[in-house]
Amino acid sequence: MTPSQKPLELILARNLLTSISTPSFLVDGSGTMVFYNEAAAAFLGRSFEEAGQMTAEEWLAAFGPLSKDGEPVELDEISLTQAVQDGQPAHGSFRIRTARNGTETVEAAAFPLVASPNGSSGAMIMFWPRGVGETG
Amino acid sequence: MKVKVWGARGSVPAPGPEMNRFGGNTSCVQVTFKDESQLILDAGTGIRALGLQLADASQVGIILTHLHLDHIQGLMFFPPCFRSDAEITIWGPSSPETSLENRIARYISAPLSPVEVRELPCSVAFREAPASEWKIGDIEIRAEAVTHRGPTLGYRITDGESTLCYIPDHEPALGAPLASLGDEWISGYDLAKDADLLIHDCQYTDDEYPAHVGWGHSGMEDTLTFAHRVGAKHVLLFHHDPLHTDVKLERMEAQARKRWIEMGHERKSIELAREGTEIEFGSVEPLVQATEEPASTTGTSAAQELSTRG
Repeated sequence: MTPSQKPLELILARNLLTSISTPSFLVDGSGTMVFYNEAAAAFLGRSFEEAGQMTAEEWLAAFGPLSKDGEPVELDEISLTQAVQDGQPAHGSFRIRTARNGTETVEAAAFPLVASPNGSSGAMIMFWPRGVGETG
Repeated sequence: MKVKVWGARGSVPAPGPEMNRFGGNTSCVQVTFKDESQLILDAGTGIRALGLQLADASQVGIILTHLHLDHIQGLMFFPPCFRSDAEITIWGPSSPETSLENRIARYISAPLSPVEVRELPCSVAFREAPASEWKIGDIEIRAEAVTHRGPTLGYRITDGESTLCYIPDHEPALGAPLASLGDEWISGYDLAKDADLLIHDCQYTDDEYPAHVGWGHSGMEDTLTFAHRVGAKHVLLFHHDPLHTDVKLERMEAQARKRWIEMGHERKSIELAREGTEIEFGSVEPLVQATEEPASTTGTSAAQELSTRG
């Protein structure tokens, strides 16, 4: 496999994310953000075609996550990142930069994509603005 | 490297007088290398007739893309399985569920079969295809998971001079149009890149495909786009729908050639697989020969054109 070819599980995950309206993105096994869907683009204010793939550092600088004070948080400090690296699903909330309000708190669920005993090929992360979908 | 098709039908055997020119047996391809060693790709019903030609072979290698019935149904009728002097090695996809042997044994066991794997007179070994490249003799083989239902592999086979890519069941355009995807997001791209011969799924016409999205197979335009994108030098369209008669398949072949030419390729570098089709390649250009059985090809196939050259 050449370095450019994505594992099948990432290809299939991208196909799924392309078809749904839940904001979602994909990271590969090295933590590089390799795709986000149109729903995420609308939320973030920037299409994936425009943004392209981003390393974890580039993603951090562009979108966060941010502390309550609006300062970037190290990715390794987020439970989601740690969980994905360990091959376990995780859920968390944090602030990110968005197109609408500057920053917004989101709830995010991460699912590692594991297809072989050699470990995770990456992760699929879906997120929701806090409060969306809540009733009462 | 020489390739011979023993079965090109998909899904289920499709015998009948209206199927004779392309044949009704399911997936099986024989590959013979320059040192005369051989590999068999898939064990659909075509492997039964192939096995009759292997009366003297003591060692037989079979690589399976996946375990759908149209790719393993012939195993139980493969004559070398019933010879005590035969040593058969079967490679196939791994699964988190259970071993390759256990999964194949679901078919070769009661009530589906009168014999069990352990009762076969031959010596048979089951090997799960490694995720990385491996060698059988001097032949390099690479397997990668490809888009189909269930664990399914495509194979890239290289003998040092030429490269064959075999992806008989594949739906690379599932969920996204191929034309809009980057190379790295196309299932099977690396396997097929610059292959001298690409054997690829082309089960549906473009009119049929929309009703079969997600079934794991390709429509013609997607197949041709995939072959074009990877730069395949010669293309053998494979896994014919069991409902497609000779007349229908010949019509599809004409459409495929027309579109292939529009994409900038030579007419003779693409054809539909027929039982008995032989392709020898690795030197200058593929030499294609259609044998007489079971398909007595008619019309103006590339196989006929090239077979008259020598």
